[in-house]
Amino acid sequence: MDGSQNKKLIATESLKKVYSDDGVPVNALRGIDLAIHSGEFSAIVGPSGSGKTTLLNVISGLDKATEGDVWFKGRRLSDMKSSELSDLRRDHIGFIFQAYNLIPVLTVEENIEYIMLLQGIDKEERHRRVLDILREIQLEGFEGRRPPQISGGQQQRVAVARAMVSKPALILADEPTANLDSKTGESLLDMMRKMNETTGMTFVFSTHDPMVMKKARRLITVRDGKITEDKMKNEQ
Amino acid sequence: MIIWKDIKLSWRNLFRNKRRSFIAGTAIGIGLASLIFVDATIIGMKNNMIRSATASFMGEGQIHAVGFRQTLEVDRTIHRRGWVIAQLDQEDIVRHYAPRVTNFAMINSAAEVSSINLVGVEPESEKYLSQIDDSLEKGTFFQGDSSRDIIIGKKLAETLDVELDDRVVVTAAQAGTGELAQEMFRISGIFRMNIREMDSGIAFIRLNKAQELFGLGDKIHEIALQFPSPEYGSREELAFWNKFSQYGNEAVGWTKIMPQMKAALDLTDFSTYFIAVILFGVVALGIVNTLFMSLHERMFEFGVLRAVGTRPVGLFRLIVFEAGSLAVLSIFIGLFLGFALTYFTSRVGIDYSGVEFAGVTFRELLYPVLRVQQFIEYPIWVFVFTMIAGIYPAVYAAKMNPAKAMRKSL
Repeated sequence: MDGSQNKKLIATESLKKVYSDDGVPVNALRGIDLAIHSGEFSAIVGPSGSGKTTLLNVISGLDKATEGDVWFKGRRLSDMKSSELSDLRRDHIGFIFQAYNLIPVLTVEENIEYIMLLQGIDKEERHRRVLDILREIQLEGFEGRRPPQISGGQQQRVAVARAMVSKPALILADEPTANLDSKTGESLLDMMRKMNETTGMTFVFSTHDPMVMKKARRLITVRDGKITEDKMKNEQ
Repeated sequence: MIIWKDIKLSWRNLFRNKRRSFIAGTAIGIGLASLIFVDATIIGMKNNMIRSATASFMGEGQIHAVGFRQTLEVDRTIHRRGWVIAQLDQEDIVRHYAPRVTNFAMINSAAEVSSINLVGVEPESEKYLSQIDDSLEKGTFFQGDSSRDIIIGKKLAETLDVELDDRVVVTAAQAGTGELAQEMFRISGIFRMNIREMDSGIAFIRLNKAQELFGLGDKIHEIALQFPSPEYGSREELAFWNKFSQYGNEAVGWTKIMPQMKAALDLTDFSTYFIAVILFGVVALGIVNTLFMSLHERMFEFGVLRAVGTRPVGLFRLIVFEAGSLAVLSIFIGLFLGFALTYFTSRVGIDYSGVEFAGVTFRELLYPVLRVQQFIEYPIWVFVFTMIAGIYPAVYAAKMNPAKAMRKSL
């Protein structure tokens, strides 16, 4: 392993992913070399089918690369067992999905504390953190409600809270604003951006939402499974 | 902590699709109810068989001279009869006993001849040991003093073409000499027990007349026994059997007198297990199907759970707990259905009368027997079995690639 990989939060090397679910091979990633550093607020952009989601899945260990390597904090994912990858995600990565994906039978509080339960955090600490984060996302008093009892925007904020409550090093957000109206989407992005600035948490988005692109500090453009452009934005 | 959360989550998941869970729970519950009912019915059937076999004529135990059961030789009479009867009078576990003599004989009517087993009985004691008096269709059970009364079965009466008060001649070999003795009797009763051998091949006369006809003096061949319950007849460890199995006699319970029935009862026990295996097999497929349907519906959710850090074993546990939750629901439904069905039939009875099984003809309504054990043991089986059936979908979920699980929606 290159020693420089240790300094990066995520590093990929010649990453390739070929799907052959229906017997027809589809090259979703065709050799991605990427480095994500701590504290970034980056967006992977590109049209549908370009490989954005696949890239997020592979760098988080949700899916295995066909070729190439992924390092997370210097550890090569391909060397890790399934349970170790689960522990890695539990302790270091938060996920936000397009369709909120809260567990409908659990209350807002139970959804948010689920990861902390997996981490073995005690009940009082869990409750304290849930109330804190609900305050931050302006959903105080919603802890006893179940997902179907709150709006889509509120559900996505709960999903953000769930992803961030365990203070992971990295948040991966896959089209987080796709199901939200522009106002709710912008407010959510502002909230995430604020958290990035105050906590130093790293955010990587997969999106084709112009608003996310506008808010991101780095834009990584993917087309046909390859990075075609990678630029840092100069912010005022 | 997480286990408790998983249990809570799995229980709530069960009610996400109430209709499906209720239908699946009812299907499994019907399996449990059937098992309770079958078990209760088999216990009732066994009781009925034992009662039919022992109460109709055989008794719950018998005392004979050694070898009499095998040979039915008229010379093999009970040794030390006086001592045996005196001891029986003192036995707490003996409720009633009836001395008998028995021999092969020929019975002639004006129209026909037939071979029979001629049994001499004491009417007063025989009333407690057999159901001949209760089975009389015509006539009376040795009323009056006539020593020439004979009671025969309905089939035999048809064969001989005789009616009440008709005369028949009985010929039998005498003990010791083997010489034939003949007596004329008058039909004083015709019974129908719905037991083929009894209705067509046996006739009863008074004990003293039979002893005279067979040349036995006051000797007897058999003492039929009745205990507080038929169960005593199957308890080989009782000291009673040894006590009366001496001086050339043998005392045996109904399980030894009718080994074919004992085997049949053992077979019914096996049948319960066999039925259980079939029922649980069907139930298992139902459980696996229900869990897979639920699993495929929530594929993305499982992907999310894996994404947020749930280990494969955590997902496995969740699905097994869901199977357990389904089992709990099913057990409640099954216990209710099983109790209702079994309690109802145990009150009204099931009509099996006339049906013959293992040489025993059911003569009474069959009453299923409720036992606490059925409501503890079988639900535990269902619970454990459902959890085991849940392993396959649980392994499937645990092995699921999280990205693949979420791919459809992403």
